[in-house]
Amino acid sequence: MPTVFQLAWRLFKHEAKRGELTIILLAIVLSVASVLSLSLFSERLQGALTDRSAEFIAADRQLRSRTPVDEAWITKASEYELETAFQLSTRSMVFGKDELALSDLRAVDSSYPLKGSVKISEQVFGNPQPTDDKVQPGEVWVDSRMFQLLSIKLGDSVDVGDASFKVTRVLSEIPDAGFSVFNTDPIVFMSAQDLAKTNITGPGSRVSYKYYFTGESSDLDDYYDWLRPQLDREIHRWTSIEDDESAIGRSIARAEQYFLLASLLAIVLAAVSIAVAAQRYSQRHFDPVAIMKTLGAGKKMVQRIYLLQICFITVLGIVLGVITGFLLQQGVVQLLSGTVEVSLNVWHWRPLAIAVFTGVICAVLFSLYPLMQLFSVPPLRVLRRDINTTLSSKALQFATSGIAVFMLMWIYSQNLKISAILFVSGIILVSLLLAVTNLLIVVGRKLGSGSMGAWTLAWARIRRRAMGNSVQLISFAITIMLLLVVLVMRNDMVKQWRDQLPEGTPNYFLSNVTETQRAALESHFASNNVEGDGFYPVARGRFVSINDELIRTEVTKEDEEVPDEGRRGLGREANLTWSTELQMGNKIVEGEWLDSWEEGEPVPLSIEVEIAQRLDISLGDKLSFNIGSEVVSATVTSLREVNWQTMQPNFFFVLHPKAMENFSPTYITSFHLEEARKPEITRLMAPFASVTLFDVDARINQLREIIDQVSMAVEFILILVLIAGALVLIAQVQASMDERLQELAILRTLGAKGWTIRFSVINEFIIIGLVAGLMAAISNEFSLYMLQTQVFQMEASLHLEYWLIAPSVGALTVGVLGAIGCWRLLSLNTGELLRKMV
Amino acid sequence: MTTAPLMIETKSVIKKVTTSEGELQILQPISFSVKPGESVAIIGASGSGKSTLLGLLAGLDEVSGGHIVLDGESLHSMDEEQRARLRGEKVGFIFQSFMLVQSLTAIENIMLPAEIAGLAEPKKLAQKILEQVGLEHRANHFPNQLSGGEQQRVAIARAFITNPKILFADEPTGNLDSKNSTKVEDLLFDLNRESNTTLVLVTHDDELAKRCSRQLRMNAGQLTEETPTLKIVSGE
Repeated sequence: MPTVFQLAWRLFKHEAKRGELTIILLAIVLSVASVLSLSLFSERLQGALTDRSAEFIAADRQLRSRTPVDEAWITKASEYELETAFQLSTRSMVFGKDELALSDLRAVDSSYPLKGSVKISEQVFGNPQPTDDKVQPGEVWVDSRMFQLLSIKLGDSVDVGDASFKVTRVLSEIPDAGFSVFNTDPIVFMSAQDLAKTNITGPGSRVSYKYYFTGESSDLDDYYDWLRPQLDREIHRWTSIEDDESAIGRSIARAEQYFLLASLLAIVLAAVSIAVAAQRYSQRHFDPVAIMKTLGAGKKMVQRIYLLQICFITVLGIVLGVITGFLLQQGVVQLLSGTVEVSLNVWHWRPLAIAVFTGVICAVLFSLYPLMQLFSVPPLRVLRRDINTTLSSKALQFATSGIAVFMLMWIYSQNLKISAILFVSGIILVSLLLAVTNLLIVVGRKLGSGSMGAWTLAWARIRRRAMGNSVQLISFAITIMLLLVVLVMRNDMVKQWRDQLPEGTPNYFLSNVTETQRAALESHFASNNVEGDGFYPVARGRFVSINDELIRTEVTKEDEEVPDEGRRGLGREANLTWSTELQMGNKIVEGEWLDSWEEGEPVPLSIEVEIAQRLDISLGDKLSFNIGSEVVSATVTSLREVNWQTMQPNFFFVLHPKAMENFSPTYITSFHLEEARKPEITRLMAPFASVTLFDVDARINQLREIIDQVSMAVEFILILVLIAGALVLIAQVQASMDERLQELAILRTLGAKGWTIRFSVINEFIIIGLVAGLMAAISNEFSLYMLQTQVFQMEASLHLEYWLIAPSVGALTVGVLGAIGCWRLLSLNTGELLRKMV
Repeated sequence: MTTAPLMIETKSVIKKVTTSEGELQILQPISFSVKPGESVAIIGASGSGKSTLLGLLAGLDEVSGGHIVLDGESLHSMDEEQRARLRGEKVGFIFQSFMLVQSLTAIENIMLPAEIAGLAEPKKLAQKILEQVGLEHRANHFPNQLSGGEQQRVAIARAFITNPKILFADEPTGNLDSKNSTKVEDLLFDLNRESNTTLVLVTHDDELAKRCSRQLRMNAGQLTEETPTLKIVSGE
């Protein structure tokens, strides 16, 4: 064994020095570095984003309850080393000097919030500033709107239930306030210690209790495992940030899937480069193995020598890869530190483990077949150089590599769907390419039979080395396809995110606008240069029956199941609107839109599809609402899909105006006011004191900031994958240059002109790049369609521009790489060239 | 009279290969023997089958029929592993294209068979023999830094380091100019004489063949003895 070790080490040392191992080493370094930096970066970023989204529920987990929970549950949480906080919310009247108003009352303990911060402002509708101060017993913090409604100022007293409080702060924002244009009363924020003296939580009052938990993920899971059997679905609801179906939640979920996809592709690219490099390495060692066997080395000895070498390369590659990956990621974090917020916890063991595991698996699995080939080289090769190896099954190679790639993807992603989609696309691409290669050979046979020009030589070479070229073509095409998938996904995703919040997205909402105020507001806006967004009539109606069957109270409970705060509002009262125009972002999925109604038919109604499914409502059902003392009935004629991610007022129920002709509506509207004009808002709205104003700028900014961060991260990942892909292409071109060496030497020796050889090689690469690019564009369409519809839940679209871009860029890149490789070889004189062949 | 043990003994050795046009017999039944210390040249034109025979004799390839015994060990009963061991212990090789491991230096190439055979102090042995071939100043050069003649001298040193009983040489001067050829030939025969090795040399060069004690001619897979004092061996 020591001799074997020494031999292996000596070979390794010399070959490393001579640059023989550079490509395979680079491939391993690349795979480890890209996987490590991607996972490390995405883990850190995800950590930051998770923290960020935790702010929306003010904790890592939330338990909502209709009744106070057993004190022992909270005590138990501290045994799991979890931090806890508490909030009670209810709607209650608040009395000012002369006025009264309904408030969204929030009573919190001193630990609230566990994540995020409460924001206050110096003046009514002023700039929100985070504060660490806690609301003290005897005082309340009050929303700007409440100041308007009660005509109060800081320092005044207000009464809540049986107690009086001093108004000490203007409350701008609390982390888990939720967002709804409807049904939202101004928040009054007080200490939970004052609850008892207000006496507002008596029997019959509608009170919601929220318990907040923060801690290590595993502790939270363990606690939930303990808690779950005791929860009553009717009363309790456990929420985590993953349940967040808001625009932000979905953006983050999508970004996470993208990171996963990009990392997967990086692994595949790394695997391809290792396979290419290992194949080259193996072929270059056919002679040494034959010599060693001839000199008396048994197969086992040869195996040990080369496995040890692979071990050395792998270990070195992993060490260098880990260092490179860490530095790369650290560098990017530094570079983006001003823009992207990442977790401060710089070291995560999971990415390191994944990277090392990937390095080992790639190095071992993808060098396995080339090594097996190497081991089976017969000693007779020393006499007959044309004998290569007794192992010749290409099918076996494809099968083992394919299975290895798939297993790696699956193990890493733990997502069978993504892995399967990418894998099947790959197989389709390979089959397509084999067919195209065969076609090329047929076409080339005709084209390649003219005089010996550069193009003729190129075609002749492609035709002659059909198998070699098809393998090369496939690897080029797969690389280009993977790059395209990552690039196009990024573009589509970022575009869709940005489309959610175009410039001029309304940042103020107005509700309670009366018919007479509507016209006044319109002209007021026009004279003040404010662009309004259209007025929607709104009436609040109690949803009472389906097909004349009274709705049981469960409907209200169902409402508690609606995870998105923004969509709450069905429970006791629903917001009804009427129009014959379909709103932007709405799509009819079943039935016909209301505008087809004709006199004499039952009055039509359109319902949002998810709520219809939840309440088991289908087309033709008659729904009744109590509006004031009147009952309004309408028949469901269409189901609508609603894009809740737009910052627009959206409705579960839209009625035909006919149904509402006896009601005088109030309106809601929205408008955009630039940052610089924000101080004008109080003055602007002063003539309309009874209109309710919502400032959603903070929300929009939060959303925009997160989208920017995620987009930046996605950009970084794209660049990393592009570098990985470029290196794979270089490895491939270099490997294929070896195969061309002999031919170049012969052509050169026979006196072929330098430029003829050069152009023939470059043309060959251009043809290969062109075809590979085209095939990649076709296969890219298929993969993207599957990924977007099946995994990312996005709308799929064709990307015809890439049908032009991919072949052009493919031809250019592969051509240039081929030219560089070729120039390097042809800069040697014929003697050196011939010697290199030995 | 006692018969001296034979170093190589072949009996009815044939070799067939499968081609696209069917089976082709490239060696007709060949029987001959070589005594220890003898030097035998196998001469013949390109494609006559002489290298095929060399491959079979050295255990690099398997016979399609008949059998070969090397120093009392029957090759046809051995598997590849056992044949490798036999080569390591008893056989040395010299090739037309030198067949040095490109990533090892001259001295490391020479050490290689000694290390594979597990001999003690391979480096000392290699240095000694490197001096014998006059290349001590080239010890740390890689093959591509050596001339053809130098490479073949390294290959000769490598062949002799394990003191093999049999040396197989395949066109040892085929890639060299006449000046280097003579130098390499002299070296080969000198070392062969000194170590009393049995030499089997394949060549198409009649002059080189004449330096051997026996000449066998290969013609279209048939082997005939040219040395008049010995019996003709080809055929059953």
